[in-house]
Amino acid sequence: MKKKKPLKKLVFARWASQLFFLALFVYILWSTTYPLKGLFSPEIIFKLDPLVVLFASLSERVLLPGAVLSLVMLALTLVLGRFFCGWVCPLGTTIDWFGTVRKRKNLLSDAVNRSARRIKFFLLVAVALSAIFGIQTAWILDPMAIAARFVSLNLIPTVTLLTQKAFEAAITRFELYGVPYDLYRALQSSILGVNAYYFSSSGIIFVFFLAVTASAIALPRAWCRMLCPLGAIYRLTAGKALLARRIEGCLDCGICKSDCRMGAIRDDAGYVKGECILCMDCVYDCPPRGTRFGFLDSRKPKKTSCPPEEKRSGKISRGEFLFLLVSAIPFLGGRRKRARSGKRAEGFANTLIRPPGALREEKFVDYCVRCGNCMKVCITNGLQPVTLESGARGVWTPQLVPEIGYCEYHCTLCGNVCPTGAIPKLQPEIKQRTPLGIAVVDRHECIAWDRHEECIVCEEHCPVPTKAIKLEEEIYNGKKILKPVVDKDLCIGCGLCQHVCPVRPVRAICVRGAGGL
Amino acid sequence: MEDLFYRLELFLKRQVSRGKFLKVFLGWLAVFIAENRFLKMAFAKTAESEGRPKRKIKGNYDLVVSEGPDSYQNTIKAIEALGGMGLFVKKGAVVVIKPNMGWDRTPEQAANTDPGVIAALTEMCYKAGAKRVNIFDIPCNDERRCYENSGIEKAAKEKGAYVYFANQWNAVKAKFPYKSQMERWSILRDAVQCDTFINVPVLKHHSLAGLTLSMKNLMGICGGMRGLMHPNMGEKLVDLTGFINPELTVIDATRYLTKNGPSGGNVADVTVLNKVVAATDPVLADAYAGTLAGKDPLFLSCVKEAVARNFGSADIAGAKIFTVPT
Repeated sequence: MKKKKPLKKLVFARWASQLFFLALFVYILWSTTYPLKGLFSPEIIFKLDPLVVLFASLSERVLLPGAVLSLVMLALTLVLGRFFCGWVCPLGTTIDWFGTVRKRKNLLSDAVNRSARRIKFFLLVAVALSAIFGIQTAWILDPMAIAARFVSLNLIPTVTLLTQKAFEAAITRFELYGVPYDLYRALQSSILGVNAYYFSSSGIIFVFFLAVTASAIALPRAWCRMLCPLGAIYRLTAGKALLARRIEGCLDCGICKSDCRMGAIRDDAGYVKGECILCMDCVYDCPPRGTRFGFLDSRKPKKTSCPPEEKRSGKISRGEFLFLLVSAIPFLGGRRKRARSGKRAEGFANTLIRPPGALREEKFVDYCVRCGNCMKVCITNGLQPVTLESGARGVWTPQLVPEIGYCEYHCTLCGNVCPTGAIPKLQPEIKQRTPLGIAVVDRHECIAWDRHEECIVCEEHCPVPTKAIKLEEEIYNGKKILKPVVDKDLCIGCGLCQHVCPVRPVRAICVRGAGGL
Repeated sequence: MEDLFYRLELFLKRQVSRGKFLKVFLGWLAVFIAENRFLKMAFAKTAESEGRPKRKIKGNYDLVVSEGPDSYQNTIKAIEALGGMGLFVKKGAVVVIKPNMGWDRTPEQAANTDPGVIAALTEMCYKAGAKRVNIFDIPCNDERRCYENSGIEKAAKEKGAYVYFANQWNAVKAKFPYKSQMERWSILRDAVQCDTFINVPVLKHHSLAGLTLSMKNLMGICGGMRGLMHPNMGEKLVDLTGFINPELTVIDATRYLTKNGPSGGNVADVTVLNKVVAATDPVLADAYAGTLAGKDPLFLSCVKEAVARNFGSADIAGAKIFTVPT
C-alpha cells in the first residue's frame, strides 16, 4: 500500500512568507521614486534592522529614530527565534533559491560547523569595536543594505531598461504607434517610470551581491550561517527563545542533520537553537515524524532525546580574543591617521558633491549605511554611488554627478528616504538655500568667453530666481556677446548649468563640492 | 585551497587543438555577428522628414488680441474672433498643442503657459471635431515635476487631452530643401505627423533671445543637445518654424515675466497683462507680442531674420489687428 506523502503545511507557509516579504521589499524600493506615494517609506526597511540602527547609533553617539522598531524585532526573536532569517529576510530568500541549484548534500562535521558559524561573531565584534571607536562599518555586511542596493541599483534599472528597449524596438520596427504606444505611455507614467536609471560602477555592487548569494551553491545558506553579522545578533537573542524543537522516537538516521540548511543540527539530532532559522524542513523529513516545534512546556523541562548544547558553542577563547583585538588595529590606525592629517583628508574628500544638506564629510560617511535609497529616489538620476573617490571609507556613498543629473531645485526626496539622517529632511525653502557646492566657469573652454559666440545656456537654466549666473556684456566685431560670471553668494551648486553646458568633453562650467554643511 | 590552485593550474595549462580553437573562435564570432544583426533589425532607423507643409488659412483678421481677467475666456473669445477653431481643425484631425511647460514652476511664476489657455484650446479642438489632442514638451527640468506643477497636465486631462511624456527616440531627422544649420536635427515625430499644430508659448523674458515667444517655444520639440542651438539662434528658429509651420499661434500674455527669464521663479518679476494673442502667422504674433513687452517689433533676432527672408510679416501697422472688446 502506498503511503500518502504528508502535506508540508509549515514549509508552504514559510515559502509564502518569504515570497510575500521579498515582493514587499521590491515593491517598497520600486515605489521609492517621485512622487514617493508608496504605502511604506523605504526607511522602514532599515529601522527594523537592529544591526544598522544599533551600531550606527553607537558609532555616532545618538539614538536613531528606528531604535524602538528594531528592539521590537529583537523582542520577537526572543519569543520565536530566528524567524527573521528564515521567513522574512529577502537576502535569505535569494540565498535559498541559489541553494536549490545544487542537489548533492554537503555534510560538514559538527566541529567544522561549529568553527564555521563562529566567524560571524568575529565580524559582529569587529563591527562593534569600530562602532565604539566611532566608525560605522555595519554597512559592509548588513544583509538588508546588500539586498536593497542590489534591488535599487541593479535589478530595477535593468528591468526598466529592458522593458523600455523592448517596447521601443517593437514600436519603431513594426510601427505600432497606435494602441501599443498608448499602453507604453500609460506604463511609463504609472509603474515603469519615465527614465531608465543608470548607476555608474553598479557592476561592482552586483558582483558583491552575487558573491554573497551564490556562495549558497557551495554550501546551503553559507552567508547566513558563517558571515552575516545581523544573523549573529539574532543568534545571540534567539539562544533562549521560547519556541523550541522537540524530537521523540529518534531513529538516529541522520536525515535531519543532512537536510539542515544552517548546519544547526548535531550528529545526535539535537540542535543549536540560536542557529535554527525555523525553515521547518526537519519536521517533514523525519521518518518517524517525531520532530515538532512548540513553545517550551514548563511541566516537562527535560527532553530525553535533546541533550544540552556543547560546552564551547559561541564562546571565544583567549587566543581568539587577542586575534580580534589585533585585527581591529587597522580600523583604529585609520582613525588616528585621519585625526592627525585632518586637513589633507578633508581636501581629498571635498572634491565630491554630496546630496543637499548632507552632514560634514567625516560624519556623513559614518551615518550613511549605503542603502541606495537616495540614489534610487533621485529624480534626475544625478546621485551616483562613489567607488573609491573619497577613500576606502566612502565606498558606495552617494555623490552628485552633474553630467548625469543635477539637483532639482524644488525636490527634497533624498532627505525624505534617508534612514539614518545622513541627508537631513529639509523643507524646500531651506533646501533651496543650502549650497551643495559652487559653480566655476572655465573661461578657456566657455563658448562665450573663448570663442565669442552666443550661448548662455547655463544662465538660462539657472534655477535661482535672481540668477546666480550674471552676464557680462562685450561688443565683439560689432555683435553683443553675453558672458557668464558666477555670483558666489547666490550659487547653490545644483549642477544644472554643468548638466546643460554644451561644451565637450569637459564642461565649461563645473560645480566644485562644498563638502557638506 | 591547494586543490583549487591545482585545478586552476590544470585549466590554464590544458592543451587546445587547432580545430577546437577555431571552432570556439568562429562560434563566438557567429554569436557576435548574429547579435549585431539582431539589434540592427530590432531598432528601426530614424526616418527623415521634410516637415509639415504650410497651409494657407485666412482668418477674419491677421491677429486678434483679447483682454480680460480670465485666461480661459480670453482664449475662447480670441479664437472665435479669428474665425473659430473650425478653420484650423477638421473633423477627425489629430491636433498637437505645444505649450511651454519647460520649467518646474507654478502658473503664478509665469514661466509656463497658463493652464486656462490650454484647457480652452483643448475644449475648442474637440468641439471642432478633433479625434485626438496631444500635448507634450521636452522640458528643461524634470518632466514629471514640470507637467504637474505647471498645472497643464491636470487642466488638459480634464478636457480629455492626451498629455504624455515625449520619448526622444520617437523622432525624425529634419531635412531641408536649402542649406540649414538645423539639418538632421532630431525632432519629435508626433509633432511632425499631425494634422494641426497649435503653438502656445508664454510671453516672458529670455536673456539671450530677449523674449521667449512662439518660434523659441518650438525648441521644446527638438531633441539632442539643444544648447547648441543658441549660437545663431535667429536663423535656426526660422528654419525650425518653417519646418513645423504651425497653423495657429496663441501667445499667452496673461502674465509677463519681465526679468530673470526664462526660468523665473520670483513672483515680484511678474507683471499681469491679462491678454491672449492669436494669429495664423507666427512672425506677426511674435512681433506683436514683443510690442506688448514694450519692445520694438524687430527686437527679436528671429523676427528680424524671418522678415529678411520674407518668411512672415512684422508690419504691425499694416496688419489687420482686432482687439476684442471687453
